[in-house]
Amino acid sequence: MLNVAGEISGDSWGIFAFLCAALCNLPAVPALNGTDELGTGQSIQKTYDLTRYLEHQLRTLAGTYLNYLGPPFNEPDFNPPRLAWAERVPSATVDFDLWRGLTDNARLAANYRAYSRLLCYLRGLDGQAGTAELRHSLGHFCSSLQGLVVSIAGVMSSLGYPLPAGTAAAAAGPPAPAGAPASPNDFLKKMDDFWLLKELQTWLWRSAKDFNRLKKKVPPAVVTLRLEAQGF
Amino acid sequence: MLALLLLCLRLLRAEPLAYPAVISPQDPTLLIGSSLTATCTVSADSRLRAEDLYWTLNGRRLPAASYAALGATTLSVALARLNGSKQQSGDNLVCHSRDGGILAGSCLYVGLPPEKPVNISCWSKNMKDLTCKWAPGTEGETFLHTNYTLKYKLRWYGRDNTCQEYHTAGPYSCHIPKDLALFTPYEIWVEASNRLGVAVSDVVMLDILDVVTTDPPADVHVSRVGDLEDQLSVRWSSPPALKDFLFQAKYQIQYRVEDSSEWKVVDDVGNQTSCRLAGLRPGTVYFVQVRCNPFGIYGSKKAGIWSDWSNPTAASTPRSERAAGGCEPKGGEQNTTLRRELKQFFGWVKKHAYGCSNLSIKLYDQWRVWLQKSHKTRNQVGATRR
Repeated sequence: MLNVAGEISGDSWGIFAFLCAALCNLPAVPALNGTDELGTGQSIQKTYDLTRYLEHQLRTLAGTYLNYLGPPFNEPDFNPPRLAWAERVPSATVDFDLWRGLTDNARLAANYRAYSRLLCYLRGLDGQAGTAELRHSLGHFCSSLQGLVVSIAGVMSSLGYPLPAGTAAAAAGPPAPAGAPASPNDFLKKMDDFWLLKELQTWLWRSAKDFNRLKKKVPPAVVTLRLEAQGF
Repeated sequence: MLALLLLCLRLLRAEPLAYPAVISPQDPTLLIGSSLTATCTVSADSRLRAEDLYWTLNGRRLPAASYAALGATTLSVALARLNGSKQQSGDNLVCHSRDGGILAGSCLYVGLPPEKPVNISCWSKNMKDLTCKWAPGTEGETFLHTNYTLKYKLRWYGRDNTCQEYHTAGPYSCHIPKDLALFTPYEIWVEASNRLGVAVSDVVMLDILDVVTTDPPADVHVSRVGDLEDQLSVRWSSPPALKDFLFQAKYQIQYRVEDSSEWKVVDDVGNQTSCRLAGLRPGTVYFVQVRCNPFGIYGSKKAGIWSDWSNPTAASTPRSERAAGGCEPKGGEQNTTLRRELKQFFGWVKKHAYGCSNLSIKLYDQWRVWLQKSHKTRNQVGATRR
């Protein structure tokens, strides 16, 4: 965010930045196209930043959780079979041309659906898992992930897209995941947990690219404004 | 680059399988030192045979000498004298096909039943709640996840209640936030349970009023006692929450010199809200803290529980002007003479020149400190040489 106070110098960049900040921070600006797109641009940037932050958090969380599951789950090249029920976790892998050709709506909807389901399953991870510290980290990550879901919803509504049907409940909060399959035994549950974390990781990698792409589609005038202001 | 990334992602994807094999026993619970024979049976529609299989435990391959084929599609493994589980989620016993692929797995929970929790101690903050903590039994390490439940009930009547908020004061603690009765004792105990059994602690009986603690005293002020070099006066007010009930409360003061970590404790403060510290060093900065024990609250005969110490308050004793010895900087002789004259001057100013009340020797002291910090001392000392 721009910090206006003290930035005003004699030169024109300072005045320019001040004007930008004034525009960005005015709450009751009349609905000009300029400020609407400014808002969306910021939302997309925020969502992008959130995916990077979550990716970073996940690295630590996954490391700790996989150590809790024990070897071979925490071995670097571990690649167990993906059994039928694990397929219910939405996969981020997609054909390249298909991915590139996605409309903004479809791109955002795919992200929204995926994270809503992933959040659901994550909340269903064993409530007794490991130390209180691990449970606390999991809880913290779930909150951040919920923030991402809300952020994506915000971008979609600011662009005028409807939220995908049937996923509204996921963002609402309570953890009982009706869709999460109960694993028939503890070892299979461990494998499910492994794949959940793996898919989460893959999705966060992919989302960064998704939101980067969306960022570039925001009208050039607004982008220029932001770049100049940040360059100050 | 992006195309490459997505290509890699595609390669990671494996083909989905149904149950390729079944292990028995599935997720057993065992006592440390026991033995186990597990079997892996490949499903009927698989082309694998017993000789195509091998076992690993926690990622390490088990020796073939412990295997036995119990039929065309079943391979068993014998595990003797098992150690406690490597992780609380269970040891991973896995049946693999020759190429390393995982066919099935079983989580082994090897450990000990829990020991009786001990050393239950509780305290109530301002009679509003109750927090208890305990210690696991002597061994502590059971290798299995152990659940602790704190239960309590009013003596002579009432039903069992279960505490809900855990880990508030460490890993073995629980907090009861409301609905606590005074004047009747509570029975409190802790149940520990894991996959191998349950253990119940001894019952502790206590009255809420006997374990009351409170906030630290408020508004702690430390000030000089006139010009006395070896004394400081400490004043505080009783903790606000129990202000009207602390007739018999006791207080304790502790103080230390700025650059020492050794606290001196003043124990016999009684229920006064002020105290004078004596026998202190002149010209020294002291840190002072006070704490409160709500002794005898509501007629309780027992000592309460000491509160936390208040945040440290600092004050300094006056520096003697006639002090000999090596603490004075060079040119000190002139400085003390000057200082004494200045002090007399300021005293005169205060009496005879109204509106100059801000001038005092304290201001001069502050100025000297500032001077030292800005490294101009030597020059100034020269300038003030008379």
